[in-house]
Amino acid sequence: MPIGPLAGGLQILQPWGGIFDVGKGIQHGGNETIALPDMLSGAEVIVDEWGIPHIYGDTLEDTFMALGYMHARDRLFQMVMQTYLASGRICEVIGGADYAINSDKYQRAIGLVKAAEETYQWYVDNADTNEDVDYSLRATLAHVAGINAFIDTMTSDNTPIEFKILGFTPSHWTPIDSFTWAKYMTWSLSGGVYDLRREFVRNQLGNDSLYADIFPEFYPNTIPIIPEQYNLSLIDYADAPGGYPAMLVPPPSILSENEPIAQISESKLNELLNIVSSNINLLGDSVFVGSNSWAVNGSKTATGQAMLANDPHLSLQAPSLWYEVHLVVLDDDEALNVQGGSLPGTPGILIGHTEHISWGMTNVGADVLDIFVEELNPTDPTQYRYNGDWVDFEVREEVIHVKGRADIHFNVSWSLHGPCIDSVMSTYTSDTETSYPNIAMNWTGLSITHEVLTLGILNRAQDIQDYYDAMYWWDSPPHNFIYADDAGNIALTVAGRFPIRQGYSGNFPVTATNDSVGMISNIPYAFNPRSVNPSQCFLQSANQKSIDPSTYGFTILGAQSPDYRGERIHTYLDGKTGITVNDMMQLQADVLDLTAEKMLPYVLAAWTSSGEVNTTIQTLVDELTGWNYEMEIDIAAPTIWTYLLEEIRYVLFDEIRDADLPATLAQIPIVEWVLSAPIDYYIDDHSTVAIESMDEILVQAMHRTANNLYALGDDPSEWLYGHYHTIFIDHLAGMTYIGGGAHRGSGYTVNVGGGWTVQHGPSRRMVVSYTETPEYYTVYPGGQSQVMFSQHWDDLFELWYAYDPILGHYGYTLEYNYATAIAFTNANDGTMIEYIILFIPRG
Amino acid sequence: MRKLNVIFPDLGLFPAFVITLVLSIVLQLSGAWITMFLVGVLSSMFVRRHRTAFGVGFFGVFIGWLFIFVYLILTAQALPIADFFIGLLGLGGLGWLVIAISSIIGGLLGGFGGLLGRSIVDLVDELLPNEAGKETKDNNR
Repeated sequence: MPIGPLAGGLQILQPWGGIFDVGKGIQHGGNETIALPDMLSGAEVIVDEWGIPHIYGDTLEDTFMALGYMHARDRLFQMVMQTYLASGRICEVIGGADYAINSDKYQRAIGLVKAAEETYQWYVDNADTNEDVDYSLRATLAHVAGINAFIDTMTSDNTPIEFKILGFTPSHWTPIDSFTWAKYMTWSLSGGVYDLRREFVRNQLGNDSLYADIFPEFYPNTIPIIPEQYNLSLIDYADAPGGYPAMLVPPPSILSENEPIAQISESKLNELLNIVSSNINLLGDSVFVGSNSWAVNGSKTATGQAMLANDPHLSLQAPSLWYEVHLVVLDDDEALNVQGGSLPGTPGILIGHTEHISWGMTNVGADVLDIFVEELNPTDPTQYRYNGDWVDFEVREEVIHVKGRADIHFNVSWSLHGPCIDSVMSTYTSDTETSYPNIAMNWTGLSITHEVLTLGILNRAQDIQDYYDAMYWWDSPPHNFIYADDAGNIALTVAGRFPIRQGYSGNFPVTATNDSVGMISNIPYAFNPRSVNPSQCFLQSANQKSIDPSTYGFTILGAQSPDYRGERIHTYLDGKTGITVNDMMQLQADVLDLTAEKMLPYVLAAWTSSGEVNTTIQTLVDELTGWNYEMEIDIAAPTIWTYLLEEIRYVLFDEIRDADLPATLAQIPIVEWVLSAPIDYYIDDHSTVAIESMDEILVQAMHRTANNLYALGDDPSEWLYGHYHTIFIDHLAGMTYIGGGAHRGSGYTVNVGGGWTVQHGPSRRMVVSYTETPEYYTVYPGGQSQVMFSQHWDDLFELWYAYDPILGHYGYTLEYNYATAIAFTNANDGTMIEYIILFIPRG
Repeated sequence: MRKLNVIFPDLGLFPAFVITLVLSIVLQLSGAWITMFLVGVLSSMFVRRHRTAFGVGFFGVFIGWLFIFVYLILTAQALPIADFFIGLLGLGGLGWLVIAISSIIGGLLGGFGGLLGRSIVDLVDELLPNEAGKETKDNNR
């Protein structure tokens, strides 16, 4: 989101009262006392050497109010941008550029704010009857009060420089803003109109057999996340997650030939996909969103106690999505001691640990969003057919306020299935037709969801039963929650509400004119894929398929990551005992690329058998021969392999290219399948009369690779991976960046780094070791402060990026985890505490 | 009523400059840059010629702001901040230019404040009856 530097006017250049004040705002000497109007009793905040606040509040409200204040003080610009973007209000901040208007229209069309309002109202309505809801709501409201306390007392010194440059003053934060941001996260992790993309690809390919081959339900050789299913009792948990209705016996899956087909014109489909693909996505391209997590029990560790590791792969942005914090409530009636990564703008710890348990998350990638093409009334297109009647669309008027320009009005139509996302086009005329909004989005995330309630329970969890109870409420977005505790348990729950579909597959847009076709129920929480203390003594997930479909009675639809990271983690843990913290960290830093290990031998063998004499190609072969498949920065082989892998895919899938689609539609496991099976149909180049062998095709790929490489330079010393594979963490508004250096790994290594310029990857690394005094190691690529001139702008990045070849891993902080402020200050050796803030009640 | 030029004596160039410099630093601490215009107006009271008023206002505020910038460079990373800002315009590494431009803007505010102030003083004094002339007439009677 680029922002012009002079939007705030020339006055921002004055020495006092302009942009230069931020240099004073980051100076904290000794202790500070801040009086806040809604503080009940008080809170002491110890800010440690990394700028991480440890909040010791007398009451729940005091702790969360201090959290809100600290979130706002350190990350207000990010919070505002995120929430305004999610709410379709970004034009209020950056003005009326086309991309901003399109973004606002799109965000309003998908209806996150409406869903957030309904979710918030559910908390208000249920707080009196459910003490966990009451707890979460009180925490939310206190957190909001803390944010607003900062906004109300904001001075020129601590106003984010971005606001000064923009000439923007943020309005008060509301609970709806907090829920909207949670919805946006949910959207980024489980939304997306993939049904439309699949429809486009299927139409374009015009070959169902090819489609089925490149998009299989289960990649060959996948090691699923759940090794042994562990069901909970239906007596304890009768419903689906979030209290939604459940069905014990799903209806039979529909045969593909019986699937109802929805009619969307090609022009409308293309236009809609263009709008979607050009939309701003703060969490980055979903292709790169993934994560690693694993846990091992005491039989495999050196300490005899459980260990856990997690690194969620999200967009790497500056400031980071994460904000480390330690929350303590001293009130015995509502005691809390939780530490980990929070998301600025939401109340609680998303990934972290309590005194007894720890947890991490990876994305399931489940498809919980379906597109319904409503049948419009030919005589009145403001109505659609349902259950035999013409039903009026509910129309929600949206008004976009644009900085410096007139408001923009447009309407979003809602059917029973959800918002019509083609409302962004409103009434329009294409070359051949006049059309009205009728493409409705039925997404579980638009229902009332309970992420905040889950965190309210999980943040206080003491044992595995509390973990089960917390997971019951996690309905959206579907995530794999890895778990370990100080009692030696390890577990993994594929948490989330998974719809049971009837009358359609859920893969493609469908027309449903009555109740018999749609998401009719959900998988019972008791039967969600889950593993607890499995016999293999470890658990792992890396976004691969959750569970083997042949062993599970329900269908969980959805994308699956290539299994290379998961396989590498599985192999490593399976063959190892006496695991140490160092081993866990080394595995997080692992850059062994299984794609190379599995497929490069085919290429080298093809070259040998070809008998071709070509010094150009031989240079490549020499570099690749003897390579250990590790994507290190100081050698050329990873560069060659990266090009070569793409070229292999290119030459294999002429069938896809012939349909004017990129060969990259075929994921790498499909490439591996074609080579290893081998599948002669795909190996042959159908554009030639001759029938090519695999060796011929692979040599072709080598020639194409050589062309790319020699364009970089004539000598292999010019192909070093680190010259091209770099990390670049862009500021949220494009004003600066962190990084720029060479980066180890690839899109298929455990230390993931897809693409040449890495902008996604391990957004937070965590290793937990349950010794007598548990050790919690964390780091993320950024810093606690939003101010780019602060030492805490990128100090954690420096640690995250610093690979130690002797130790074989990156740097981490060892968390300070003292239960009281006195214990912390007593333990301080003079370097641990930077300063202390005392929040006291005002008046 | 006494004329403004009588109330505010002509202090000469250097004292007027010092007053302007001190005022520019003190009022800038309010964070309201428009006060530099006021500084220029006030400084114009102590000189008599328009070009002197402009010069005193300009250089008083210019030097005053430079003093503040030096302090901020030493204590609050003003140079990296300036570098960052001008980097947004694609001119990274020229942070000193931002500080120079900022000081010139301040100086222009002070200078034009001085011009305006001097003009207002002259206008007001011209509209006021001449006290000296009135006393002479009274004495003749």
